[in-house]
Amino acid sequence: MDYFVDILLIALSASIINNFIFYYFVGCCPFVGVSKKVDMAFGMGCAVTFVMSIAAFLSWGITVFVLIPGAPVSTFIAGFFTTPEAAAQIDLTVLSYIVYIFAIASSVQFVEMYVRKFFPSLYRSFGVFLPLITTNCAILFACLMIMSHVAGVDNPKEVWDLGKAMTLALFGGIGFTIAIVIMSGIREELELCDVPKPFKGAAITLVIGGILAIAFMGFTGVDSGIKNALKPTPAVQEQSSEASRNTLTQYLADITCKGHNGEEILP
Amino acid sequence: MSLKKSNLAQAWLVLLLATLFGTALAGIQAKLGPVIEANKIKETMAKIPVLVLGEDLAAELAAENQTLTIKSRVIEIKQNGTTKFYTVYDVWLPDGKMVGHVVKADGQGYADKIELLLGLDAQGKSITGLFVLDQKETPGLGAKIMEDAWRGQFKEKSTENTLAVVKGGGGKEDQIDAISGATISSRSVTGIVNTTIANVTSQLQVTDGPDDNKSPAVQNEEPGKNKERS
Amino acid sequence: MADQPTAMERFVQGILPENPVYRQLLGLCATLAVTNGMKSALTMAVCVAFVLVCANVVISLIRNLLTPHLRIVVFTLTIATFVTVADRVLAAYMFQMSKTLGPYIPLIIVNCIIICRCEVCASKQNVVIAAADALGQSIGFGLALASIAAIREILGTGMLMGFRVLPAFWPDWVIMVLPPGAFITLGLLLGLVNYIDFKREEARK
Repeated sequence: MDYFVDILLIALSASIINNFIFYYFVGCCPFVGVSKKVDMAFGMGCAVTFVMSIAAFLSWGITVFVLIPGAPVSTFIAGFFTTPEAAAQIDLTVLSYIVYIFAIASSVQFVEMYVRKFFPSLYRSFGVFLPLITTNCAILFACLMIMSHVAGVDNPKEVWDLGKAMTLALFGGIGFTIAIVIMSGIREELELCDVPKPFKGAAITLVIGGILAIAFMGFTGVDSGIKNALKPTPAVQEQSSEASRNTLTQYLADITCKGHNGEEILP
Repeated sequence: MSLKKSNLAQAWLVLLLATLFGTALAGIQAKLGPVIEANKIKETMAKIPVLVLGEDLAAELAAENQTLTIKSRVIEIKQNGTTKFYTVYDVWLPDGKMVGHVVKADGQGYADKIELLLGLDAQGKSITGLFVLDQKETPGLGAKIMEDAWRGQFKEKSTENTLAVVKGGGGKEDQIDAISGATISSRSVTGIVNTTIANVTSQLQVTDGPDDNKSPAVQNEEPGKNKERS
Repeated sequence: MADQPTAMERFVQGILPENPVYRQLLGLCATLAVTNGMKSALTMAVCVAFVLVCANVVISLIRNLLTPHLRIVVFTLTIATFVTVADRVLAAYMFQMSKTLGPYIPLIIVNCIIICRCEVCASKQNVVIAAADALGQSIGFGLALASIAAIREILGTGMLMGFRVLPAFWPDWVIMVLPPGAFITLGLLLGLVNYIDFKREEARK
C-alpha cells in the first residue's frame, strides 16, 4: 500500500506538479522549436517518452549493478585483483555521466532501428526527430534524477527500485508530451493572430510558455496534500486540545519508562 | 576497403580516448572524492555546536579552540506500517559531559521535502535549536523558514506538549507564530518537529561515553516492543 | 581558405553577432534554469566556458583522425569527460553552489552550444581558431546569462549579489525567481533584441 502511494506521488509529481518543461526547464529546445503543429508535437512527445523509458531502464540497471560502491559486477571483477573489502568500496560513479549519455545514444539507435523495421509509417511521421532526441536534456535529466535517488541517498533502504525509476521516466515523458501538445495547439491558433514582428517565432513562444508555467504552478502542494491524506503521521495535527496533549504525554511516558534492555529508567 | 580500415582506426581511437579519459577521471575521483565527502559531512557537523549550545557558547568554545565529541547513529522507527529513519548525533563537551543530541529529520513541506536538524538537550526535554538543511519552498514566502528570527521561536520550547501553529502572534508556551503568507510551510516544519520529538525522545539515552570505540549502532526499536516487556 | 574567418573575427562574432542564446537559440535549458541568481549564472557561464574551450581544443587536435560515422561518439565522450571534471571540481571547492546548480551542470553535456561548435568549427579548424571561437561563444553565453539573471534577481529580490539595488519598499516580484519568470524574461529580452535588430536594419536602408 505504501509502495503504491509512493508510485502515485512520483507519477503525479513528474508529469504535472514538477513538469519537466514548466518546472525543471529540460526539453526546452524541442518545446520552442518543434511545437508548430499538434500531430508533430504529439509524435515528438511519444518518441521522447519511449526513449526516456528505455534509457531510464538501462541507466538504473547500470547504476545499481555496476557503478555504485558495493555493486555486484564491479565487486566481482575487482575481487580478482584486491581483497573483498576493498572491492566493495570501489566507487565508479565518476563515470556515470559518460555511461548515461552512451546509454541514451544506444537507446535512440535501438528505437530508431525498431521503429524503422516494424512501423514504417510511424517512422515516416516522427522518425526524423529521433537523432535529435539524443541531445534532448529531458532524457539525461531523467537519468540524473534516478541516479540521485540511487547513488545519492545515505540510507540503503531508501534507494529507488526499478518500478519507481520507470514511473519517473514514463510519467516525465507524459508530462513533456502534455506540455508540448498544449503549446502546439496554442501556436496553431497563433498563426492567425497579429503578433508584433520582433516577437514572432521563439520570443512569443517563450512568453506564452511562461504564462502556461504560471498555470501549472497552481498544482504545487497537491502531492503533499495527497501524501498527508493517504499516509497520515501521528503528532502532525496541531490542535491544542487537552485530549491530544494527554495522549502524547501518556505515549511518551509509556515508552520512556522502559529502557532498551527492558530495565526501568527513572523519568 | 579503405572504409573498413578507417572504421577500424576509428574504433581504436575511441578505445584509446576512452582509456585516457577514464584514467583522468579515476585520478580526479581519487584526488577530489575525499574532499567532496568531507564537504558533505561538514555541512551537518558545522551546525551542531550552535544547535546544541547556542550561538554565544559555541563561539566561546571555538575561541578556546576546543571541539565537541560527536558520534552518530541511525534510528529506525516502525509505525502504522511505515518506516522512518532518523540520524541522531550525540554530543559531549570536551570534559566528557553529555550536552545534547541533534536529530536529522525530514518530512513533506509545501512544495517538496524539507530536511532539518533539531537540537535537543541531554534528556530530550527541551529544544535547543533548529536548522533547515534543505528546502524547496516558495522563495520570499515559504523560504522564510530558513530565517533566524522564525527558527528562533523553537528554542527553549519544552518537548512535553505538541507545538501548535497560530496565525498572528502566538505568545503561549507551545505556540509557534506562522509566517504570513506561508501557513502551510510553517505547519509542515512544526509537524516535522512534533513527529520527530514523539518518535525519537525515547531513544535518546546512550550508555556509551564519548570515548568508547564501539561503532555507531543501528537500533531497530519498535516502540510497541517495550510495552510488551512489561 | 582565405575567406574563412580569422581567429579574431570568430572571437568577436561569438559575443554578440552570433550570440548562442539570443541569435542561435541554443542552450535554453541551462539559460532558463540557473538565471534566478547572478552568482549561479556566472558559475554556470564559467563552467560552460571551461568545457567548451577544452573540448574545442581536444577535438581540434584530433580533427584529422575523425570520420563521419564515429565523430559524434568522440565529441560526446570528450565533452562528458570535461563536464565530469568540472562537476567534481565544483563539488569539491564550491559545495553550496554545486548543490544549488544541481543537475544542471551534467546537463552541459547535452547543451547544444558545445556540440554545435565542435561540429561546425573545431572539427575543421586548427587549435588557435577553435580556441578563439570557443572563447567568443563563451563570453557571449556569459553575457546572455548575466543579462537575464540581473533582471530576474533585481526584480525578484531587489538585491544583486548581496547588494541592495532597489529601495526597501519594492514589493519583490517573486514570480521572477520562479520558473515562469525565466520564460517570460527570456521571451521579452529576445523580442527586444529582435526589435533593436530591425531598427538597425531600417536605419541602414
